[in-house]
Amino acid sequence: MKKSTLSLSLAVIGVLFAASANAAPDWSKVPKRDIQAFSPATASIEWVMKKSDHSGRTGMVKGETCVGCHEEKGGLNFDMKKMASKEMEPAGAPKTMNFPVTVQAAYDSANAYIRLTFKAPAGGVNKDDKDNDVKATVMFANDKVAVTAGDKSVSGAQVGCWATCHGDSRTMPGADANKTKYTKDGAYELMQWKSAKGAKAIDGSVTDKRNMEGGTAGVSATGDNKGGTYTVTFTRKLNGALGEGKTVPFGVAVHADHASGRFHHVTMGYTLGFGAEGDIKATKQ
Amino acid sequence: MLEKLSALWAVLKRPSIKYSLITLLSVGFASGVFFWGGFNTAMEATNTLEFCIGCHEMKDNVYQEYKTTIHYSNRTGVRAYCSDCHVPKDWSHKMIRKIKASAEVFGKIMGTIDTKEKFEEHRLRLATNEWARMKASDSRECRNCHSFDAMDIEKQKARASKMHKIGLEEKQTCIDCHKGIAHSKPKNMPEEEE
Repeated sequence: MKKSTLSLSLAVIGVLFAASANAAPDWSKVPKRDIQAFSPATASIEWVMKKSDHSGRTGMVKGETCVGCHEEKGGLNFDMKKMASKEMEPAGAPKTMNFPVTVQAAYDSANAYIRLTFKAPAGGVNKDDKDNDVKATVMFANDKVAVTAGDKSVSGAQVGCWATCHGDSRTMPGADANKTKYTKDGAYELMQWKSAKGAKAIDGSVTDKRNMEGGTAGVSATGDNKGGTYTVTFTRKLNGALGEGKTVPFGVAVHADHASGRFHHVTMGYTLGFGAEGDIKATKQ
Repeated sequence: MLEKLSALWAVLKRPSIKYSLITLLSVGFASGVFFWGGFNTAMEATNTLEFCIGCHEMKDNVYQEYKTTIHYSNRTGVRAYCSDCHVPKDWSHKMIRKIKASAEVFGKIMGTIDTKEKFEEHRLRLATNEWARMKASDSRECRNCHSFDAMDIEKQKARASKMHKIGLEEKQTCIDCHKGIAHSKPKNMPEEEE
C-alpha cells in the first residue's frame, strides 16, 4: 500500500513537473517585436545574388544582412513601386505590399514557444489554396545553410528564408509546377499553421526539396482570428537548430487571402536567441 | 584646276592694300564670333530633349522609361536631361562624343533599332557601350551633379549609406552600381563579379 502511494505521489510530482516545464508562457510578459512581412514578387535568391539585379549583393558578400540594409525605423526601405511592377511581379501585385507581424518568443527546458500576431490582408492575386484562408509559417536555418555566388558565399543568418527560394521553383514564371523550394547547402526546419478547420500543424523541413512531414520538433500550433487579427502560437521542442545558448536564423511567411506558393508575404531573415544574442531574444520561462 | 588653286592661294597670301589692318581684324573677329557662336548654338541644339526625342527610336523607348524615374521628376524640381548624362560638359570631350555619336545617323538610316523588337534586341549592346563609356570616365557626367565630397552619407537611408561606404572604400564609380536608373535594364544581363 505504502509502495503504491509512493509511486502515485512520484507520478503526480512527475506530471506536475512536466506540466510546469512545458507550461505555455504568459504572453503578456513576453516582449513584442514587430517585423515587416512583404510581398517578395519574383525576387528569388538568384535575383538577390545577381549584382545587375540587386546591387546590394556587394554588401552581402561582405557579410551584410538583408535586415542590415533594408529595415529602417521599424519599416522597410524597399522601392515598393518597383516590387509591385510588372517586371518584378508579372502576375500583378497584391493590394497590400507589406504589413507588420508581431513576434514573441519564449522557451523552457523542453520547448520553444513562438507567437505571431498579424492582420492578414485581403486583396491577394493568387487564391489557389481553397482550403485555407491563411497559413503562417516559420523556418529556421541550420548553420550549414549557405548560398554561393561565384567564389563568394553568404550564410542563412544573412539571407533568412531566401536560400530556399529559387527562380525555378513552382509558381515562379515558367517554372516546373512540381518543383518545390529547396536548398543547395544546409537545411531549414519548417513549421506551419493552417487556418482550415481541423488542419494539423506541419512539422517539416526544406532540404533538396520541401518536406511537409518528417520533422522531429513535435510541432503543435493553435490559431485564432479575432476581427481579422490572427494570433498563431507554435510550440515545438527545443531541439535541432534551436537550443539553449544558441542563436538561430529564422524567417516568417504569411499566406493571406487563400494564397499559395510564392504568393505569400515574407519577412527578411532575423535571428532568435535562446539565452544568446539575437534580433529577438526568447524569454526564458 | 591646280592652277586655279595656286592662284587663289596667291591671292590669300598677298597683303591687302585696300583694307586697313583694323578693318581686317574687326571683320575677322566679328565673323569668328558669329561662326563660333553659330556652331556652338547648333551643337547645343543637339543637346536638347526635343532633339533627342525627335527620333521615334528614343521617344518610344528610353524616353518613356526615363519619364518614370527620379531624374525626370522629383521633389526638388531638378531635372537631368538626356545630354546631362550622355554628353560631356567640357568642350573637348563633348566634341569627341558628338563625332562618335554621328555614327548613330548611320544606324538611323539603316533602321537598326526602328522597331520595339529591334530596340530590345540591341538594348544590351547599346547599354553595355554606354556603361563602358561611363566607367572609363569615372562616371564624369554623374559627377557633374553628384559627388562623394558633397554627400552626407550619414543622412542617407541605411542601404544607401552602407553601399556608399563600400563604394568609397573600394574606389568604385557611380555606374558600377547605378545601372538602369533612368531606363529599363536589358533582359538577361550577364553576371558581374565584384
